[in-house]
Amino acid sequence: MMESGLFHMVEQILEILRYPPIQRAALVCVLCGASCALLSVFVVLMRMPLIGVCMSHAAFAGAVLGMLLGVNPFLSGMIMCLLAAAVLGPLSDRADIAPENLLGILFSFLMGIAFLGMGILTQTKAGALNLMWGSLLTLTNADVLVLAAVTVVLLVFITFFFKEIRAVLFNRRLAASAGVPERMIYYALLFLTGAVVSSNLATVGGLLIFALLVQPGATALQLTYNLKFFFFLAALAGVLACGLGLILSYLFDIPSGASVVLMATLLFALAFVFSPKRRLTKIAERSSSDERDTR
Amino acid sequence: MAGAMIALSNVSVRKHKTLLLSAIDLRVSQNEFLGIIGPNGAGKTTLLNVIAGFEKFTGTLSLFGEARTWKRARGVRRRVGYVPQALQIDPGFPILAIQAVMTGAAGRVGLFRSPGREIYEEALQLMDMMRVGHLARRPLGHLSGGERQKVSLARAILQKPEVLLLDEPTANLDIAVQKEVLNLIDEISERQSLSILFVTHDFNMLPARMKRVAMLKDGRKYFDGPIGHALSGEALSRLFEYPLETFERDGKRFVSYG
Repeated sequence: MMESGLFHMVEQILEILRYPPIQRAALVCVLCGASCALLSVFVVLMRMPLIGVCMSHAAFAGAVLGMLLGVNPFLSGMIMCLLAAAVLGPLSDRADIAPENLLGILFSFLMGIAFLGMGILTQTKAGALNLMWGSLLTLTNADVLVLAAVTVVLLVFITFFFKEIRAVLFNRRLAASAGVPERMIYYALLFLTGAVVSSNLATVGGLLIFALLVQPGATALQLTYNLKFFFFLAALAGVLACGLGLILSYLFDIPSGASVVLMATLLFALAFVFSPKRRLTKIAERSSSDERDTR
Repeated sequence: MAGAMIALSNVSVRKHKTLLLSAIDLRVSQNEFLGIIGPNGAGKTTLLNVIAGFEKFTGTLSLFGEARTWKRARGVRRRVGYVPQALQIDPGFPILAIQAVMTGAAGRVGLFRSPGREIYEEALQLMDMMRVGHLARRPLGHLSGGERQKVSLARAILQKPEVLLLDEPTANLDIAVQKEVLNLIDEISERQSLSILFVTHDFNMLPARMKRVAMLKDGRKYFDGPIGHALSGEALSRLFEYPLETFERDGKRFVSYG
């Protein structure tokens, strides 16, 4: 009985996958999950979770301003994201403000701009609001191409600069002292975050993207000490959260954003509960406190 | 002075209207081991930051015989190794001790190249020299403070620097580990052709090869000369504004904190 139910579900999924808009949505799911999850490695290891919120509001503010000025909201959203990245990098390096405080200030400023724009906007606000929620089924081929291009650039960046990325993630100052172009790596990461967030706004929206920029990295952090494998596990968790979330959304007729976020959280919870690293860390802490006691 | 690896002339650092370093003149020759001593807030770390290219300054800094502005000093960072006070790291951070050491070679290997077997073997040898070779495959976050400090030294040496800046490398370590780390620093100084600047508070834990000391107070150079002259009760009491006495045992001078 259960087997036939499962068979029916699989049949249903395969059936809908025959439709081009659904195929596009599935492809976008993989690209979105992978690109956000790869970035989540930096977000988690550099401890800057607010960057996702900051960038998504930059895109939102840009979209609203674009609508006010009669420019394509997607394009103006992307420009605003890249501008936010350009401001954030030098400011977090030079000003005596902690990066997380700076992100909070920038985020609230951008939200203020967005709401100001919304207040002035006389036409329908649906175009701007769509960027907060996204829509997988109304995507154009151009949306998919932009997302694919950004994902490829991100992958190329990680592959070609892996040793520099490892040094920067480990310790920015020591990386600089070793002669690694750490500012270039850090700024490139900020720009890539801007590009990934803005290219994903049309797909999953500004609210959901925050979860995908943190949870896959946090999931992988529970599982491995190997940075290469860390990237792989994070990407896998992101793709699984998006893919399974979308399937559940279709099968049970629930909002896709919610099911993707809940699936990402479930994966994190499973990784946390079964984390081999937590056990090892406890053993290491115990042995180092024993070592101290015996001295 | 001919052959000076580092020469600072009239170097000042100002931050938020506070003068952190004031008109510092200092020269360090090739293979020289210089101690930098002073109370908290004297400008010791700021001085290292200027040489490492992390701090904006006015005045003239000459590194390896060439005058550098703050921005140009950044260009020679690779030739200046830096070991911070303590290496803080999350226990779950995905990096093994050997990988942390190998980050020291990231700059000299160059962009678009992977470190390869040779650098790995070199890193392993240095870890053996620092007596932490057996911990190479352990996550860095699982190592004790002393072990992490030895990894940090190995990382800085793998960089193949010509100048090594040590910012209180024995702070927060217990006495046995402090002594061990100091011996390793002496070993590095003996084996490698390096000029070393060593910042410390603890006069009773000084590397044996340190022969000269510069004392800083309130951002100014207070004394620069042989260690024997620096370790006098009178000089130290004036520097720290606290009564200190020195005594000798087995040919070595010690400081009594009273």
